[in-house]
Amino acid sequence: MELVVTKNFGNPQSWTLESYRKAGGYQALEKVLNEMTPEDVSELVKESGLSGRGGAFFPTGLKWQFVRSDPKTPRYVVINGDESEPGTYVNRYSLELDPHLMLEGMLIAAYACNATLGYVYIRGEYGLAHERTQAAIREAYEAGYLGQNIMGKEGFSFEVTFRRGAGAYIVGEETALFNSLEGKRGNPRYKPPFPTNVGVWGLPTAINNVETLSAAPAIIENGTEWFQNLGHGEATGTKMYCLSGRVAKPGVHELPLGTTARELIYDYGGGVLDGRPLKGFKPGGASSAALGPEHLDAALEPRSMAALGTIMGTGGVVVYDDTVCMVDAAYRDALFFEEESCGFCIPCREGAPNLVQICERIMHGQGTLDDLDLLEDLGASMMASFCGLGQFAHQPVRGAVRAFRDEFEAHIRDRHCEAGVCQFANNGRLA
Amino acid sequence: MAIHAGAPRRSTLAPGDHAKLDDLRARLADLKDEPGATLEALYAAQAVFSYVPPEAVTMIAEELRLPESEVFGVLTFYTMFHRKPSAKYVLRVCRDLSCHISGAPAVLKALNDELGTRVSEVTEDGLFETESVSCLGLCDLQPAVMVNLEQHGPLDAEKARGLLADLRAREA
Repeated sequence: MELVVTKNFGNPQSWTLESYRKAGGYQALEKVLNEMTPEDVSELVKESGLSGRGGAFFPTGLKWQFVRSDPKTPRYVVINGDESEPGTYVNRYSLELDPHLMLEGMLIAAYACNATLGYVYIRGEYGLAHERTQAAIREAYEAGYLGQNIMGKEGFSFEVTFRRGAGAYIVGEETALFNSLEGKRGNPRYKPPFPTNVGVWGLPTAINNVETLSAAPAIIENGTEWFQNLGHGEATGTKMYCLSGRVAKPGVHELPLGTTARELIYDYGGGVLDGRPLKGFKPGGASSAALGPEHLDAALEPRSMAALGTIMGTGGVVVYDDTVCMVDAAYRDALFFEEESCGFCIPCREGAPNLVQICERIMHGQGTLDDLDLLEDLGASMMASFCGLGQFAHQPVRGAVRAFRDEFEAHIRDRHCEAGVCQFANNGRLA
Repeated sequence: MAIHAGAPRRSTLAPGDHAKLDDLRARLADLKDEPGATLEALYAAQAVFSYVPPEAVTMIAEELRLPESEVFGVLTFYTMFHRKPSAKYVLRVCRDLSCHISGAPAVLKALNDELGTRVSEVTEDGLFETESVSCLGLCDLQPAVMVNLEQHGPLDAEKARGLLADLRAREA
């Protein structure tokens, strides 16, 4: 299969400008600047069906059109590299192995949006990604791909500032990321107005995921039909899926969007670790509800995942085998959201610790069947949260109850943990 | 009754560290006219002191012309900033799903046992501390540990002890 966003990963020193140019880099940008108008670019990307790979799957070309249509200037393009969703590490690979591809995509977006300023924001923990991306930005300035009159194109100028986070999952939420860029606490902002009109510094902003922008150059070079044919039906293009958990070979695989979980786990991941039975899997990071093995043939793309009551999310597929206790797994997700809730709104700040406590009760043999209903009620209340974090924080716990209810009931009724994880003697909080 | 208003917050600076405030002021010179540089300013303070002492918060607020409360708010929001002296090697052990079900608890326990410390406690020689942290995005290296910003994994208890031995060897 033809690769879109990982095609250069195997090249020697793939993160350098020299290597990127050797692989045909910055030719798409040249084509854009010489042959296309900003309208042509956003129309082409719209037609390709490219949508936000961070997990929201918003149509990318449309976003660029909205930004360009806003009369306020300067307009911004911001790269969201704050990947922090448990089970997800695809952006890290792109940032470490091919930062120029992302920068070329960013420049194409800038041209389409008539934007003149940009930020690359990378989570604080990605040290190697910081080094290589900063080096790539320097190289791009020296080679005339950034700065004034780029590649000799009169009037096309774009300046990029590199920024790093300092440890906060919530900053992956686009408006929280703007606050962080502005040097503030990473609390989210109210939407609407949307970032396309009121983004960083209150100005029109196209904020795109690393992977989304990395797909743009290939679409320009090869056309929309080529990109569409890479995917499955309406799910066009490819997706970087990544595997972790109880899988034989954790790793990143770029595959057609809409690849089934079975293909990903068994054909590319070598199956379950030590050949143990599969208990279930998470389709897209901590926020997504886990599915049982009966859904292995479901396509990993937004529509089919929504039909199963979960989300496609980030494509971070986590595999569970029979050594995993689903109550413990749900508890881990609840702990994550409790830790990462920014504390700004009540449903999330109070709801997340409640999820943790209910899971703890069940794990310690002190749960009741009413607790399972309580989880549903609590989840409904948390839907009133200010941003997506709180609105999704309860999904993994409720999803686990839905898909693995027997296991929860066994903990409650029989004080029995099939996987042998929960000990039931411990009255204190588990570490 | 704001009886504490204006009272200086207790300094955490070691006697020899006061001279480092000039170093910080020099580093802040590049940042003070850059909009939104608060996080970078806090990183600068942490690079100088290994943590962000109250004096640094005051200085950042003055230099960047921000309310001190806002700088403090930012400091406390992000988990990578320390408010007490941190070790030379901060060992961040991922505690989230993929690492957890791949053996992260044993790795954290091995590190703490070997160091004789608890999470966030600095060893007496000032070299090591462990942290139990949210997903590091190193799930392909599960269970993963970051030593400052260096990636390590997959680890088990034995490899975790080996990692400590390597780090100690660097110091020898």
